Amino acid sequence: MADVAALRRTVLEILPRVDLVIGWQRGPDALRAAPLLMRNAADVDRLIWDRTCVHNLATFLPREKGKKVAIIVKGCDSRSVIQLVQEGLVDREDLTVIGLPCDGVVSQAKLRRAADMDRLESAEIGADHVEITAAGKTLRMALDAVMPDKCLSCAYPNALLFDRFVGDPMEPPQQRQDPYARLDAFEALPLEERFDFWKREMSRCIRCYACRNACPLCVCRDYCLAESRQPHYQSQESDVREKWFFQLIHATHLAGRCTECGECERACPMGIPVLLFKKKLGRIMTELFQYEAGLDVSATAPLLTFQAEEENIVEKQWL
Amino acid sequence: MKIGVFVCLCGSNIAATVDVETVAESARGLPDVAYAKAEMYACSEPGQAAIRAAIEERGLTGVVVASCSPRMHENTFRRAVERAGLNPYLFEMANIREHVSWVSLDKAANTRKASELVRAAVEKLRCNRGLQRSRFDVHKRAMVVGGGVAGIQAALDLAEGGLTVALVERESSIGGKMAKLDKTFPTVDCSTCILGPKMVDVAQHPNITLYAHSEVESVSGYVGNFSVKVRRRATFVDWTKCTGCGLCMEKCPSRKGPDRFNERLATTTAIGIPFPQAIPKKATIDPDACLRLTKGKCGVCAKVCPTGAIDFEMADEMIEEEVGAIVAATGYDVFDPAACAEYGAGRHPDVINSLQYERMLSASGPTRGHVVRPSDGREPGTVVFVQCVGSRDLSLGRPYCSGFCCMATAKQAVLTRDHVPDAEIIVFYIDIRAPQKGYEEFVNRAREEYGVRYCRGRVSSIYRVGDKTVVRGADTLLGAQMEVEADLVVLAVGGQPSEGARALAEKLRISSDQYGFFMEGHPKLRPVETNTAGVFLAGACQGLKDIPSSVAQGSAAAAKALVLLSRDKLESDPQVARVNPKRCIGCGKCVSVCPFGAIRLVETRFGTQVAEVVEAVCQGCGVCNVACMDKAIQLDHFTDDQILAEVNALCREWRVAN
Amino acid sequence: MSGMACSELKIIGFLCNWCSYGGADTAGVARFRQPTDLRIIRLPCTGRMDPLFVLKALLGGADGVLVSGCHPFDCHYSSGNFMARRRLEVLARFLPVLGIDPRRFVYTWVSAAEGAKWQAVVTAFTETIHELGPAPRVLDPDDAPLRFKEGREIWPT
Repeated sequence: MADVAALRRTVLEILPRVDLVIGWQRGPDALRAAPLLMRNAADVDRLIWDRTCVHNLATFLPREKGKKVAIIVKGCDSRSVIQLVQEGLVDREDLTVIGLPCDGVVSQAKLRRAADMDRLESAEIGADHVEITAAGKTLRMALDAVMPDKCLSCAYPNALLFDRFVGDPMEPPQQRQDPYARLDAFEALPLEERFDFWKREMSRCIRCYACRNACPLCVCRDYCLAESRQPHYQSQESDVREKWFFQLIHATHLAGRCTECGECERACPMGIPVLLFKKKLGRIMTELFQYEAGLDVSATAPLLTFQAEEENIVEKQWL
Repeated sequence: MKIGVFVCLCGSNIAATVDVETVAESARGLPDVAYAKAEMYACSEPGQAAIRAAIEERGLTGVVVASCSPRMHENTFRRAVERAGLNPYLFEMANIREHVSWVSLDKAANTRKASELVRAAVEKLRCNRGLQRSRFDVHKRAMVVGGGVAGIQAALDLAEGGLTVALVERESSIGGKMAKLDKTFPTVDCSTCILGPKMVDVAQHPNITLYAHSEVESVSGYVGNFSVKVRRRATFVDWTKCTGCGLCMEKCPSRKGPDRFNERLATTTAIGIPFPQAIPKKATIDPDACLRLTKGKCGVCAKVCPTGAIDFEMADEMIEEEVGAIVAATGYDVFDPAACAEYGAGRHPDVINSLQYERMLSASGPTRGHVVRPSDGREPGTVVFVQCVGSRDLSLGRPYCSGFCCMATAKQAVLTRDHVPDAEIIVFYIDIRAPQKGYEEFVNRAREEYGVRYCRGRVSSIYRVGDKTVVRGADTLLGAQMEVEADLVVLAVGGQPSEGARALAEKLRISSDQYGFFMEGHPKLRPVETNTAGVFLAGACQGLKDIPSSVAQGSAAAAKALVLLSRDKLESDPQVARVNPKRCIGCGKCVSVCPFGAIRLVETRFGTQVAEVVEAVCQGCGVCNVACMDKAIQLDHFTDDQILAEVNALCREWRVAN
Repeated sequence: MSGMACSELKIIGFLCNWCSYGGADTAGVARFRQPTDLRIIRLPCTGRMDPLFVLKALLGGADGVLVSGCHPFDCHYSSGNFMARRRLEVLARFLPVLGIDPRRFVYTWVSAAEGAKWQAVVTAFTETIHELGPAPRVLDPDDAPLRFKEGREIWPT
């Protein structure tokens, strides 16, 4: 990974020309980071760059529209920036992108399954392992075992869009995991089990909208259909159907836009695997339109256009 | 809201299989329903009177009629409630006839279904709001795109009807394909003699502005208020000075340019007038052939021109036209038979297409009306016509019949007999299609009086042996293989939409079929209208047709445009998209999906961008409504809430019923 | 309808006003008998068809949803059906991940002239839905036990 000192130097150089620089700082414990909005040189001292920098900071961009903003991005995060620029939701001229190479972050979800992270005492991240002491027990785990699936299947380790690139570009992992492995496992379940799985998972939803708030492409904010009375897509009732329907609003609004960054699922306090919906849509976009979102600022999203003769759509025939 | 529900018996049409009293009774239990009643014939005068009376006496603020299809009577009832002082959009229909009583005999199921449809209509109506139609001014001027016979007819009728007309023609003269024809079927009268006077009328009509050598660059605006940019391509001759004397043509040293008017049967000068009867009769320089424009040498024409009209520096010019209606009359192109390698067109000199033959027959054509073999200039002894080249051929993606070729071939066969009395004339055909007035009789005359031999069968190949062209085919009536040694082979080529038709369709925002022919509004009942208000169709651009049909359509399109522009103001349909600027995040997705260019982004006073709908351009499809993520843009009368109300009503019924 | 085991199921149709709605009218005028399960909602164009309406219906208790619009190149608004085709094809492929049988949703093209085709479409689709039976309910009145087998977990990553 790139050297944090070099990153700080770059930020200090850019800072005078922008209103703010968005990066990461140390979070509540050694394995967690938090977003950092840097406005002056003193803020830059708090900037960190390591395997705990999981947040996709592109989420902050739409709300800062109109300001001169610099943002630090990993390869995956840069795709969200590309998507936002493509959709005109941020102005490229107002934006300075500091790109990084990245070979993986750590997954809180996976760590939590391994140890009592609420009682974390110390942690150390090595070149190929993570050692944590929590609730009096010390555990040494291979790095691969605590990386999010998205890192294990990463195809874009380097920022795809940048004005400054800090560090040396990296190769994608040698043995890339199939990005759709978990989806395949889920889809292998019988249909009614899938339905009931969601019924159970969605009944656990607390409608906190953390998934929406973490999503870099959820740009409606105050006018989200989840809470809108006109149009009245859904009620505020706390039943499974309303909760599930909200996930479907989120998913369908991301069709052809989502870069599968996984922030929705990472942010979910109930651990509901809502990324599955977006993974499914992502795969459909590839199957139907050979399209991957967040790669090209000048591309047209597949659902905003059409072909008179669609190559991969076979329409229903009635005999 | 105070809603009245009227359930129509439609005599026995509905009442026989739907218990209308039960439907009315269930409606009484619906929210906001203040009144529900069964009516014998809701659409009849007493039925409408009962609805009006109920509105007035009971102070209804919304009406649902459960009867036939809204495609049948929505307007009838809208007018009825409007006469009673209600906004016509505070009305909904439930289709319980076509969709219920007529498709099932199960009275219990039908009654339940009708009640649910009424509930959905009531729930939708509760979300309706009154909509106002707005009125706007129109330009009393029309544009005709394409100066073939259909466009000429349309332009003349429009001009005679009192509108001013801009006629845009891509070539340097109007006249289109008809101007290239020697004679017309089935009367065998001279094509130029009947078309020429109409062309002159165009030139002389005070209401017509002719833009020849020009093309439509872009179209914006909407019915009554189109704004069209016309590109006047550089002619390199100042037409205000050119007298059409032709001296430049005589002296031009570049004589190797392709003669497009004569279908490349001959070559022509770089400067010239395409044919003697051209309108406007003005010279044009072909910049690809002109020595001065390609090599910088020459300039003879400029020296000989008595009026000093030559201008080598001329550039394209853009003109903006404001019109209320547009008639597309862009005609067709003939199929290029080079695509059928087995017929040898383009390789064997004595295989030509039917339009080339037409030029050969013409007294002003490249052979001055003599029928000759292009290979050696000798008169042919055997002339073979091959029909359906590029028509009715699935392998070429042209399953359609071009319509005019059977008759054109019969005419050319007859003319061949006149030109070469001793010739053997053979026509290979699949079927003869001669359905119009006098057509069948004409084909029979060709066979019987003119000794034209018709062989039913497809030609498999045409090849060259010595100086003869051998046509191989089957005579399917005799069941025998045939081989004919021909001197001249004429391929009766079909038609296809003219080059650039699809691009024009996009500019006009009209649709095309899979071949590129423009789509009419309705195949039977709106044959010259399109689904874009204010754009009309005439001639072969809508589908291949012969001269009489093209002329008829030209007049029909002109009549439709005249009807439209006879009004001083037009009324807009209020079922259009509307933006809530507070919700809009200015992402522009609606702008990119709108098929009509009806939405634009405008800057707010806070410097942000929001979408804005140009009401008169919006056609009300609702594509934008779906593309909008936070639903800031809503299609009036089909808003999300209205449709969701119907969905919820129908879903709720399930839970109640089970 | 013969061969249908259970009573009426709930099928919601979303039809374009310019073509399929007219096709359904044409079928009615011709008295082409059809099963009675379908309830039709009229839209100005399939381009107005929001996939969320389908999801709303399917989660709301519909056993089947049918969308029908104009044949390609026949759209009254030139390209609404082309836009719809993409949106609805994506939706059709998305349903299985929700555990909803994709056969419960069909989109198709029927013109105003095709009354007989409309009859065939309604009949065939209704038969399919009856073969599938009532859709599983999101809100089960009797709170039926989840058919999900514990241990086959899908963890967040």
